[in-house]
Amino acid sequence: MFKLNLKIAWRNLWKNKIYAAINIGGLAIGLTSCLLLLLYAGYEWGYDRQFKNSPHIYQAMINLNDQKGEVIRTINQSQNVMLAALKEEFPEVLYGARITDVYKRLVANGQESLKLDSRYVDPDFLKLFDYHFISGNSTKALNDPNSIVLTETAAKKIFGTTDVLNQKVRFENQVDLKVTGVIKDLPTNVTYGFESLTTFNLYENLNQWPKKPNWGSHDYYTLIKVNENTDIEAFNMKLKGFVGKHFAAAKEDVFIYPLTKLHLHGAFLNGKSIGGNIKQVQLFVGLSIGILLIACINFMNLATANTQGRAKEIGVKKTMGASKTDLVFQFMLESFILTLTGVLLSIILLEFSLPMFNRLLEIDIVFDYLNPANWILIFSVLLITGFISGSYPSFYLSGFNVIQSLKKSLNFKKGYALTFRQVLVVIQFGFSVVLIAATITIYKQIQFIKNTPLGYRSDGLLEMPHEGLLYEKFNLLKTRLLSSGAVVGVTQSSGSISNKNSSVRGLGWDEMSESDKMIDFDQMYTTYDFTKTVNIRLLAGRDFDQKFASDTAAILLNKKAVEVMHLKRPVGTSVIYQGKKRNVVGVFDNIVWGDPSKVAAPMVIAYADISDVITMRLNPDKNLSESIGTINKLAKELNPDFPVEIKFIDGLNEIKLKNEKILGTLANLFGCLAVFISCLGLFGLSSFSTAQRIKEVSIRKILGASITELMTLLSLSFLKLIFIAIVIALPVAYYIMNNWLMQFELRTSLNLWMFMATAMLIMVISILTITWQTYRAAKTNAVDALKNE
Amino acid sequence: MIDLKNIEKYYASKGIKHYVLRHVTTTIKQGEFVSIMGPSGAGKSTLLNILGMLEEPTYGTYEFMGEDVTSLNERKRIELYRNHIGFVFQAYHLIDEMTVYENIEAPLLYKKIGGSERKSRIADLLDRFNIVAKKDLFPNQLSGGQQQLVGIARALAAQPSIILADEPTGNLQSAQAEEIMQLFQKLNKEEGITIIQVTHSEKNAGYGNRILHIADGVVKDDVAVSNNVKI
Repeated sequence: MFKLNLKIAWRNLWKNKIYAAINIGGLAIGLTSCLLLLLYAGYEWGYDRQFKNSPHIYQAMINLNDQKGEVIRTINQSQNVMLAALKEEFPEVLYGARITDVYKRLVANGQESLKLDSRYVDPDFLKLFDYHFISGNSTKALNDPNSIVLTETAAKKIFGTTDVLNQKVRFENQVDLKVTGVIKDLPTNVTYGFESLTTFNLYENLNQWPKKPNWGSHDYYTLIKVNENTDIEAFNMKLKGFVGKHFAAAKEDVFIYPLTKLHLHGAFLNGKSIGGNIKQVQLFVGLSIGILLIACINFMNLATANTQGRAKEIGVKKTMGASKTDLVFQFMLESFILTLTGVLLSIILLEFSLPMFNRLLEIDIVFDYLNPANWILIFSVLLITGFISGSYPSFYLSGFNVIQSLKKSLNFKKGYALTFRQVLVVIQFGFSVVLIAATITIYKQIQFIKNTPLGYRSDGLLEMPHEGLLYEKFNLLKTRLLSSGAVVGVTQSSGSISNKNSSVRGLGWDEMSESDKMIDFDQMYTTYDFTKTVNIRLLAGRDFDQKFASDTAAILLNKKAVEVMHLKRPVGTSVIYQGKKRNVVGVFDNIVWGDPSKVAAPMVIAYADISDVITMRLNPDKNLSESIGTINKLAKELNPDFPVEIKFIDGLNEIKLKNEKILGTLANLFGCLAVFISCLGLFGLSSFSTAQRIKEVSIRKILGASITELMTLLSLSFLKLIFIAIVIALPVAYYIMNNWLMQFELRTSLNLWMFMATAMLIMVISILTITWQTYRAAKTNAVDALKNE
Repeated sequence: MIDLKNIEKYYASKGIKHYVLRHVTTTIKQGEFVSIMGPSGAGKSTLLNILGMLEEPTYGTYEFMGEDVTSLNERKRIELYRNHIGFVFQAYHLIDEMTVYENIEAPLLYKKIGGSERKSRIADLLDRFNIVAKKDLFPNQLSGGQQQLVGIARALAAQPSIILADEPTGNLQSAQAEEIMQLFQKLNKEEGITIIQVTHSEKNAGYGNRILHIADGVVKDDVAVSNNVKI
């Protein structure tokens, strides 16, 4: 029986090749998209779960409170003394480690010198995470302050081999370190990634500030492992007031949060987690289900549309004693054969599309054929797809009345059967409409943010790190750069113009209110020529000037700062800044510093010779690559130990929209796929439907209908469905996209034309899809069609 | 074997009953070869469908082998199809995607008959009907007469006690029709299989031993036939 059914299924597919191709092709594309998205969801879900200790690692988080004790903000960095204090006072805390932000650090061994993503960590970091050590001892690797642990790739980049235990490297051109371990490269889905690890002790030895116990500054990530049977909620209750006990002025509470939840549920509001990347994962899972559903709907529609061909078979089988179960089983089998073929094809497609997908999202997913989890995933997708797509046709077909099916007068009861199919088409196209509308909205928002004035001129603006010998030789570099003619402006600052890296509160001025103490000001340090180089518009006063010695104690405010401080005559006012009185010498226009979708924050630019970044404006009259070459040469001459890294501000600003861009690309990609699969289905369905109506068409033709009239007649029944789909889906799309836009402070508006364009696009595509079929039907020779009856 | 009492069938539309069958009462015994005759629209096919349990009468009782089957549940009816009833159709209704061999095999599969038994039965049928050479062909590669032979072989495969044939020769040329009718007669005589056929042709009815004349849904005449047609 099984074998016979199998054979018949193959013969049926072979007979209806186009139908089979549409079905399998649509399924394969749908399945590939679904698998890609699910693999990505799995990748995101797997964040930080790779380690033995993962379930018991917690991160110390800080809730910053206002005067009334309400949580204003939750931050994930804590004080340098937090770990020691927690360990000392709570036996639940077994061990832990402080971790610095990841920075590019110069690592050299004489021949090679390059910058590695590095972190300073406490030795127990290696106890928290059981990295795979290729060489070296994981328990002792970071015990000596002057030791360094490298990843496999990093070791190969510097030494060309991983066999580098006890080799010396020069770190930051300051100190010699011994390689005490080489570990396998980390997966990319870890929060605390790195290429090299050095000790926190070294950090304290190289700099003065980290060593001093300081309850006032939150600079480090603190990870702890707690006793496995600790009640975390109770523990967090105990932590209330803990910081205040040590530092009376603090208005904050520490709590611990599972590391495994940090990536997906890392967004906090009022001290409570409100999600985070999980939203993206949910979105992707939703998208994958949607696409798969569209593919399944194709299957159901085409299979049921094909009933006329199968009706006789069903009737005869029933008179031979086939039970409904037998028939359901047979159709299910056919559905599974199609699905299986689709799955096999989709695995091939997956192989080809995964690298592109990885590049697009800048992630690193591999489909591991040896991993049973992947096969379970594929197998369940196969089962679900086969079942969903097979169920409706199976039950629908097997329920046929014998006499009707044998008489070939299978009059589909107008109503039920057809309506269900129509509903399916509406769902398909509704989904496609939402995706297309989403794509348009996302692109419009990106465009909107891009077109929002930055407040400075970003084109022709370059930056490079201020490091090594460039500190002492900055003025020399500046003079040489300017005299070379490659650039027209050079300045130094504590942060890049493209990225917000610091803020301060507690500024003081006359007539301020108590609550003004809580205002956060963006802050940046610079010396001379900043506004001129970056091209920030000065609204009042002037920039810092070497002619005025007093300018070394001056500050600049932006327009927003003047507004929130209610300063009537800002220039000349004195402001208490970081405990010292400073004079405002100028007011500059608001600039986009941090998140480009946010309204500009109040900002202070203070004079101080603290700098991490050198910013330059290219000479517009000179050749770009020559100028870059000149800058490279001059910087290398003055700071030979460091590679020169020049970045374009335009490029850096571009990166800030990465998430939105990815979302846009995905919506675009999967939107197009959804439309394509839907159209495949529509194509198949229209071919069946026109075939069924061929007699009607022929009679109308004999009665004198023109080809255009016939095509309109045939198309209309489908276009009606598409129209319904559009009418239903547009409000849904509006609602979803309106919600999405809410997360941006600066947002574009949703216009009518976007939705009109979506509707038009879908309509045109549908018409093109149907036309070929209807044209063919309208052109058929009436006599032939009627003779066949 | 078959006992019909007061069978009625009507379709109600807009409050008006359209009778297809009225007061049909008859008994058909095991081993009879009955032909149902009558003009188009008389209700012949409906009667045959009711006999085959493909349609339910609106009123009346129908006993098949001593069991009331007027409202039989699906499972029981399938059991009857598998074990007692074979259908032969005017349009043959072979499954196009199956070869001759597979078409004959299908009912045996539903009956869950073992592989070796199946093989021998099919071989036997192919042999008897002289279609061994055609066993791997598909229906569309056969002539109408050959297709109907396969149709009958398929009906016989499950070894039914009764064959219901709806104008089995309606689509055939007379020579082929004759061949099929002779086959029916032989099956009836030699194997004692009850046969009920619907036919338009007096000549075909002559192969049986009883004729039910139906007109306007009513049995007008029930006559025995002396077997004057030679085998």
